[in-house]
Amino acid sequence: MACATRSTPGCATPSTDRGTIVSADEDGSQGSNRGRRERLSRIRLVGFAGAVGLALGVFGTLVVATTGADGRGASTLVFSLGALAFGFALLGWSGSVAAGRSIEATQAHLDTDTGWTESGSRRAMARIGGFGAGVMVGASVTTLLV
Amino acid sequence: MISKRFVAKRLLLLVPVLFGVATLVFAILQLSPGNPARVIAGQRASEEFVRQIERELGLNDPIYVQYGRFLLDAAQFDFGNSYTIQRNTPVRQILRNKLPVTLELALYGQLIGILLGIPLGIISAVKQDTITDHLTRVGALSGISIPIFWSGPLVILVFAQFFGWLPTSGRIDAQRFSIEQVTGLITVDTFVQGVDATLSSGFAVSHFAPFFSAVEHMILPAATIGIYSMALISRMMRSSMLEVTRQDYIRTARAKGQGAKITLMKHGLRNALIPVITVIGIQFGSLLGGAVLTETVFGIAGIGTLLVQAIEVGDYPVVQGTVLVFAFLFTLVNLGVDVTYSALDPRIDQ
Repeated sequence: MACATRSTPGCATPSTDRGTIVSADEDGSQGSNRGRRERLSRIRLVGFAGAVGLALGVFGTLVVATTGADGRGASTLVFSLGALAFGFALLGWSGSVAAGRSIEATQAHLDTDTGWTESGSRRAMARIGGFGAGVMVGASVTTLLV
Repeated sequence: MISKRFVAKRLLLLVPVLFGVATLVFAILQLSPGNPARVIAGQRASEEFVRQIERELGLNDPIYVQYGRFLLDAAQFDFGNSYTIQRNTPVRQILRNKLPVTLELALYGQLIGILLGIPLGIISAVKQDTITDHLTRVGALSGISIPIFWSGPLVILVFAQFFGWLPTSGRIDAQRFSIEQVTGLITVDTFVQGVDATLSSGFAVSHFAPFFSAVEHMILPAATIGIYSMALISRMMRSSMLEVTRQDYIRTARAKGQGAKITLMKHGLRNALIPVITVIGIQFGSLLGGAVLTETVFGIAGIGTLLVQAIEVGDYPVVQGTVLVFAFLFTLVNLGVDVTYSALDPRIDQ
């Protein structure tokens, strides 16, 4: 089959990956696989933290409600604590994205590398945010059910 | 050339930032002690009356309903009505009246800081290790070290009490002039309405007498926060300029025969300004927050004083509105800083 354009399947410039020459199709499918893996990893990260938060939200609301506070007070307390974590994480995530790699570059420039990375910060904030959102949902669900 | 994609990305980042601030403010106020309904009803009100107010304000609704309602209203800049400070007045209206007062103060303070700080920093760098440099550095260090709650009363004591050159407090000589609020920025309003301004007794006065009165009242508070700002800017300008002047391209420009002043101003200043602009942006945000002290010292009823009062009396809608407006302004200023970066150094938005 003649190559009319570079976008025709199999006609793009071959690229190298880990030392072996692979065709553009293989390269593309590897890229999409990697993208899918990254997406799954992100979902797993936030999902796990959210599930922990949800369980803790439900458990926390029940514990606070049974130790003196009325149902509404318990729900408000636990929901607000979750909202604190969620709000903090949102701000931290936005700050990491806004700062970009400049903090890493500054640390490298000043030779004071602490191992802090933008992607690490975003992951940490996503985890805290997921946890906080989970707690909020947990407290809300408990309020609805109980 | 500023990339539209860069600006759009920065604008999009405003959404999670404001969402985060709104969530934090909501959570903190929910966790803080005190019942807003009790604040409105008064300490002697019956329990029934307090419950009725709670129902009217929706404080009885489940917390997630209150949170959702708060977010929806906040997205429309509707923060409800004030509970106590100006009872039943929409918070939006209160902020509209108070915000220009603080903004004006912060703007003039920042202007003084920039106009003095940048030249002083450049002079200090150019004349490194001379007596001028030492004096500038001592001045800058003093400016940073002296807190506003001390420098404010000091300038009042010297310039208002001892010399009697400037007024001690307020925004204008209220006994002489009555000015209609248009923009809320007193210097602008008095300048625009100068011709129509009248004495309280009804007699017309010199066209710009109210304007001069407003400027006189602005000098001391603006200078107080401007000195602090100037100190930081001049220090940053000095160190940044010193670093830039050691770069190869400056040496090349000089080797090609370009004059020292032109090299410094054309090649040096532009590059040295980048970190200084960061400081100016952050500084402007802290000027908005730090205006609380200045407003208190100089008896100016701005948004900072309003926030302190609202926290003291538990006026939740006012606290939420004020904090969100502060956050919004701060993020907008930072957006401006980012855009300025990319205008100064096109590599930044890559």
